[in-house]
Amino acid sequence: MFAALIALVGYGLWAVDGVTRHDVAGDPEYYIYRQLVFAVIGSLGMIGVLFVDPEYYRRYRKVLYAGLIFLLLLVMAMGTDARGSTRWISLGFFQFQPSEFGKLLLAIVLAGVLATRGRRIGEWRTVAVAVGVAALPTLLVFMQPDIGTALVYGAILAATLFFAGARWRHLGILAAVAVLVGTVVLWLAPALGIDILAPYQRARITAFLHPSDNPQGAAYNINQSITAVGSGGSTGRGVAGATQTNLDYLPEHHTDFVFASIAEQRGFVGASVLLLLYLLLIWRGVRVIATARDPFCATVAGAIVFALLFQIFVNVGMTIGIAPITGIPLPFVSVGGSAMVTNLIAIGVLQAIAMRRR
Amino acid sequence: MATITRIPPNRTRFMPRTPGVEGPYRMTPQIALRLGVLGAIVLFVFAVLFFRLWALQVLAGETYLAAAQNNQLRTIRIEAPRGPIYDDKGRTIVGNKLALEVRVWPASLPRRQRARFFRKLSGVLGVPAAELQKRFREQLKADPLKPVTLEEDVSKDVAVYLRERQREYPGLTIEETYLRDYPLGSLAAQLLGHVGSVTPEQVKSKKFLSGDHVGQSGIESSFDRYLRGRAGQAVLRVDSLGRPRGRPRFSAFSEMGLAVRLTVDADLQYASQKALAYGIQAARNDHQWAADGGAIVALDPRTGAVKAMASSPTFDPRIYVGKVNPRNLKPLLDERTAEEQNHPGLNRATSGLYPPGSTWKPVTALAAMHNRLVSAYTPLSCTGSMKIDGTTFKNWDPYANESMTLTHALAASCDTYFYQLGLDFYNLPAQYGSPFQEWAGAVGFGKATGFDVGGEETGLLPTPQWRRRTFSSEIDKLWKSGDSVQLAIGQKDLLVTPLQMARFYALIANGGRLVTPHVVSSVEQAGNRGAVKAIFSPPPHQVNVRPDELRAVQDGLYEATHASYGTSSGVFGAFPVPIAGKTGTAEKSVNGIMFDQSWWCGYGPTSKPELVVCALIENGGHGGTAAAPAALKVFESYFGKRATFQTYVPSD
Repeated sequence: MFAALIALVGYGLWAVDGVTRHDVAGDPEYYIYRQLVFAVIGSLGMIGVLFVDPEYYRRYRKVLYAGLIFLLLLVMAMGTDARGSTRWISLGFFQFQPSEFGKLLLAIVLAGVLATRGRRIGEWRTVAVAVGVAALPTLLVFMQPDIGTALVYGAILAATLFFAGARWRHLGILAAVAVLVGTVVLWLAPALGIDILAPYQRARITAFLHPSDNPQGAAYNINQSITAVGSGGSTGRGVAGATQTNLDYLPEHHTDFVFASIAEQRGFVGASVLLLLYLLLIWRGVRVIATARDPFCATVAGAIVFALLFQIFVNVGMTIGIAPITGIPLPFVSVGGSAMVTNLIAIGVLQAIAMRRR
Repeated sequence: MATITRIPPNRTRFMPRTPGVEGPYRMTPQIALRLGVLGAIVLFVFAVLFFRLWALQVLAGETYLAAAQNNQLRTIRIEAPRGPIYDDKGRTIVGNKLALEVRVWPASLPRRQRARFFRKLSGVLGVPAAELQKRFREQLKADPLKPVTLEEDVSKDVAVYLRERQREYPGLTIEETYLRDYPLGSLAAQLLGHVGSVTPEQVKSKKFLSGDHVGQSGIESSFDRYLRGRAGQAVLRVDSLGRPRGRPRFSAFSEMGLAVRLTVDADLQYASQKALAYGIQAARNDHQWAADGGAIVALDPRTGAVKAMASSPTFDPRIYVGKVNPRNLKPLLDERTAEEQNHPGLNRATSGLYPPGSTWKPVTALAAMHNRLVSAYTPLSCTGSMKIDGTTFKNWDPYANESMTLTHALAASCDTYFYQLGLDFYNLPAQYGSPFQEWAGAVGFGKATGFDVGGEETGLLPTPQWRRRTFSSEIDKLWKSGDSVQLAIGQKDLLVTPLQMARFYALIANGGRLVTPHVVSSVEQAGNRGAVKAIFSPPPHQVNVRPDELRAVQDGLYEATHASYGTSSGVFGAFPVPIAGKTGTAEKSVNGIMFDQSWWCGYGPTSKPELVVCALIENGGHGGTAAAPAALKVFESYFGKRATFQTYVPSD
């Protein structure tokens, strides 16, 4: 798995280098340099985590949960505002995004809660407890507002329930409730005049269903992204020729839409290589779940792997027009310190679980 | 609770077992199922992604590549400079100057930012934001894809300021354009016309594109298809804010418009405008306080080429150029303001309608001779007044009492002589029709002259049929003797334009040929020795008039300016170049009050006439006091000589 990881991170760095070469006038290495620094920090964290037995996570799950809530509240209190959302805490050199790290914390905490219940996983009460535990951080993230990360938190909740062994019936009921809530929020409540989500947020989510409706509005990003991806053709347009990226037609091409940018520059070949590397990594992760030592580790591993899969699918899907627009970064590739470090540490936890397998 | 299971000895562990943890996590069927589900989801997800990627990039790659390239290419239309307008000697009357205009690409200006954009721009340009938005909306409606021109002719400082702040003004560009330049000032403003942006109606007609500049009046409009030239095209790469990246690539070069060469002589035009002002002042000095406008037409009787065409009041054509101040345009565009300022936009030479008064008498004379009602040598009595059918018609000179020949009657402008001619026409049997009006029509009255710049009036030639058509009461529908009598001296319902009069006097001067007055002589390539592309010289056509009859009229006109009884001898008698011509004092009802319109039409030198001048001073009083001196000034300029002595003869 490490091989896959190294290859992935390395490829990601190289790709991002091309993507961001023309971003900062006079300093083509600006973003790459920062990414490299975070990659190194994350790697150190990853190696450190290898020595921690996952059992400690389970034991101190309540502490970890308190820390998660504390960080999220901290962001709300003293976070810096950027483009209408308060997600970051400024620490001088870089911006720390607690909600990213919270993904890992939440996975561990939920797994701990469920694993400790043992057999009682089959009861409705256990499920309710899990939902309640997850609800608070999800709500805090939602209020930032960060719909994308809130969705990931939801995915983590689903994954932990799934791998901890909750009954199919309970899972089905939860799924139905989720769909109902989604329908109400997106279509029913606005029809009655109640806006749980702001109209622009709704538009971003539903725009991928009808991109040609409003070319200048919410669907603009999607259309530009699809154009960017498509224009990459089989072998890409190269770094210099990628006009969507270089002329700023593709927004956020170093964070949310980085895949589209890579697809434009490296073509089908380059994008496929990236996807294959992800597939390799995920597949290795699945194996870790299979050979985990106990339910807790299995659940943690399952949540980490599923969270990774979810983020990859939503981000890439968004750039190619089959998923709604959310602010989810592409793991190991998107420019962003907190995400890179968190993901590397998560792989570290995964590896720690793998090392202690049956 | 912890059950410790034995570890098979041949299994190695990396780390020691942690106590307190539940038993081994065995692969139960349920777990295997869930793992299987996960595996399936993973495979499904990646399959979807791969397939979608394949569809987008490999299958539809070219389409998106084209879309991406289109994204960043903008076609700009490069407007060609308009052809200049030269006078007959090649001096530039209307030229071009470079200016900077502010334009915006609507596609690059997101709707949300529009209000702020216009507000900021309004502060920079000094134009109210509402006005900018109005221009934006109107042009956007006409053509949503082309850049919208927000302001023409901004200063270099403003241009530099805006260029430095491209980020704050997405989609804004500063482009060079050509604006009309008038190096000789306000010369023949109404005749030249003006250039303006295309109106929405013109865009709809599909002949022009939004943002074009088109001649809207006068010569600019009538000869627009020569003057306009051909626009070029360039392709420019832009980024998502509409900022240009790199240089534009020219796909078609613009072609400058053709130059139009006029028959007008700029010096004579200038002199005519001054003469007009002089004539108006002369009228005022003669207590004609209502004199406030007029027209002068000077043309070559041999060809019909217009050497000068002045109309007062006039305006400065520069008010149409560049940063247009709507207040300046009000006297030209707004009905009420135009009325208050006496219609400066009107070209009175071609569109002003007035009764000709005594300047019409040569028409009557020739018509009467042609129809054998009178001969040049038969004297008729000229008295102070005449009673016809119960109405008394007066002569301007109440003390006149002698018999005159036609020549003398013309020179002295005896009204009663011509009343008799009018009565003779009236007494003709019905089957002759209206020979007087027919003859007048044959020499160009009541119809267009064929002038090559649009918008001339045809005037009104009253006939019995016209009377029946126009009036409703039984009395008014009848053509009475008084109508013929008044028609004979150019009064009552008769209306002519100064251009028609000039054309008629040209006919007298050149021996009976009706010329087509024109102001454009040729269209040629701009520049010093540009190749001529077209020549306009409509040939005159001979009118059926006998030479001896014409001679009588010519003599009459000569005596009018030289004999002691001549009505403008005081003005032209002492001019070194022999001029012949006729005064006119025509009564016209203006807002219910009768005002005398001052006329003078004539030509010179009488041996071989080169120039016909027709001057009209609105509400100017007697022909000899206002119009005649004005016409003299024109002759002075043309021949380069001054009259040695002048007096004004208050007559007709």
